[in-house]
Amino acid sequence: MKHTTRLMDIVQRSLNGPIKEEQEFNNDVTQGIQEKVQKYDIRIQDEHFINFDDELVDRVWAAAVEFLADCGVYCQSTRRVILHSKEEIESILETAPDNVWYGEGPDAVHEVARGVEDPRRPLLMGSPIGTAIEEEYYVPALISYIQEPEVDVTMAPSMDKIYGYDIRTRSPLEIMACWREIELTLAALRRSGRPGMAVTGLDNSISDVGQLSADGPGGLRKTDLHTFGIISELKTNFEVLNKLTHILYRGGIVDPYANPIYGGLGGGKEGQAVLITAAMIALNIVFMATCVGSSPTHPFHFNNTGKELLIPCSLSFQALARNSHLLTNLTATTVGGPGTKTLLYECVAFFIMSTVSGCSRILGPRSATGSITGHFSGLEARFAGEIMTAACRLTRDEAEEVVRKAYARYEGDLDKKAYGKHFKDVYDPDTIQPTGKWSRVYDEVKREVADWGLAL
Amino acid sequence: MPKDFEQIKRELEEAIKKGEKETASTLTQQALGQGVDPLDIVQKIMVPALTDVGQRFQNFEIYLPELMMAGDAAEKVTQLVEEITLARGETSMSQGTVILGQVEGDMHDIGRNILGTLLNSHGFKVLDLGRDVPASKFLEAAEKENADIIGLSALMTTTLPAQKRTINLFSEVGQRDEYYVIVGGGAVSPEWSEEIGADGYAPDAAGAVDLCKSLLQE
Repeated sequence: MKHTTRLMDIVQRSLNGPIKEEQEFNNDVTQGIQEKVQKYDIRIQDEHFINFDDELVDRVWAAAVEFLADCGVYCQSTRRVILHSKEEIESILETAPDNVWYGEGPDAVHEVARGVEDPRRPLLMGSPIGTAIEEEYYVPALISYIQEPEVDVTMAPSMDKIYGYDIRTRSPLEIMACWREIELTLAALRRSGRPGMAVTGLDNSISDVGQLSADGPGGLRKTDLHTFGIISELKTNFEVLNKLTHILYRGGIVDPYANPIYGGLGGGKEGQAVLITAAMIALNIVFMATCVGSSPTHPFHFNNTGKELLIPCSLSFQALARNSHLLTNLTATTVGGPGTKTLLYECVAFFIMSTVSGCSRILGPRSATGSITGHFSGLEARFAGEIMTAACRLTRDEAEEVVRKAYARYEGDLDKKAYGKHFKDVYDPDTIQPTGKWSRVYDEVKREVADWGLAL
Repeated sequence: MPKDFEQIKRELEEAIKKGEKETASTLTQQALGQGVDPLDIVQKIMVPALTDVGQRFQNFEIYLPELMMAGDAAEKVTQLVEEITLARGETSMSQGTVILGQVEGDMHDIGRNILGTLLNSHGFKVLDLGRDVPASKFLEAAEKENADIIGLSALMTTTLPAQKRTINLFSEVGQRDEYYVIVGGGAVSPEWSEEIGADGYAPDAAGAVDLCKSLLQE
């Protein structure tokens, strides 16, 4: 395993770094972000959804690197800070992967680092990103994504129960759920005729126990994406590092994520842009990520399609695209659910913003905030993929105009919980095709968006 | 020259809103020294100031760092007022004791931190058990702290069953009626709250403060 030395270095830093109480670290994050926002004169123009200012982008990058070097990543298990100097950060980033293959055989796909306004299409991870669903609908709902040609890789839903019983963390039930996830996911891939498509897992592994069990022979494959989340903001513990260690020894693709909370320790839009950028860098520096991802979250609506998150995401991912060759991804988390126009308009805004801002992979949409059991379907992933493909031909100016029109259609719905319908009510679970009603909504919005000038 | 109540009110409100802990402490001591009723400091100064701060946070006019600073300043005021009240042999002005935590398996922090700060600043004594808390820990803490309310947070659909298990444990040991149990977090709905027999649900931190107040007024 080529990463042994680096992994040992991280573990030793977590054991020997400066001791700090967690609250003190939180204060460091808050003060550090505020200080860098001022020092680098980071000011966002409220009227925009997508950033146009390349000098601002580069200042965000400089602020993020300096902030991360000052602040580090906190290890809750040891109450110590994992620190890397600015020079170390820059040196490690030079060695980060700029491309990776996912999957096997004819279903394999290639992710490459993209630039701002890059005409190359990002990959689409069409998926409900871990939203729970009843066991009886698990396979048909997952197939509804896999069968879409626009979808390159996927990620399974979570199970609401295992064989009819509640799942319990760190118990045999979690391990059973993880193995069941693999069993059903591989079955769904085979039934869809795309057995080699890569999946991200393990969704049901809340703890390290689940990940360590079903990430191995007969379970999650080396060619799949092996995911785990770090703790907000910029924190880890041995459970997270255990997952990382296991994935590295397995030789798997390391696919971690960090989801900063808007209005939290990073503050408002400017602070979020710095914090998201720093978190993505940390995923590579500390967690040895092959690819780095985020779904920044609104603290009250649990989405990221509001204006307050679109612009910092745009700024942050442009900073990553212009200043590094990291493989970056964003997850679209919408308020709207299946059957609603709200969901589709949110997809227009988020997928266009992400595409022109340089993401190399876009995930989702995680419909209905990902918190309503069964409220997702493959049709929204098809729509998102079509939007994304068309957005590759847009400049940031053109993208801004389309996003502005879409946003006007859903802005008023963000606090109305337009969670839409359950999969079984928008698809026929036997034929795995959308109902006429949901298809008509899709057709209508697609025509409307095409009229705005997007070449669908 | 002693300040009149309106001047104290204006200055102390401002200090709390700006999160100026030391200024808030000095002004509170001055006010108490001048004989201002401790109850007036809480009811007429601190609560309106914090209500304003909470609303501004909801509107994103300020963010968590500012909210926490205002909470710290208010906590200091509460502490000084409480010392005077208890020294006079009067009963505590605490609104009640709330135990908070993410249920087992849930690793989130920030939403619960927001709630803890708001509850604290509204005069509740808060014990935050942190993330990934097993049901037995909630029970242990509730008994030890003689809690009034247990707040169970779950942000993930997959950790919702742990809320149910925690409530069930309180029932199994015959202590369900000893405490109010409220639930919240991104994955929780009013229907789920009702299904698992919680005493209340709030969609956000501000709503949870109102819920705690209304439960203890029953």
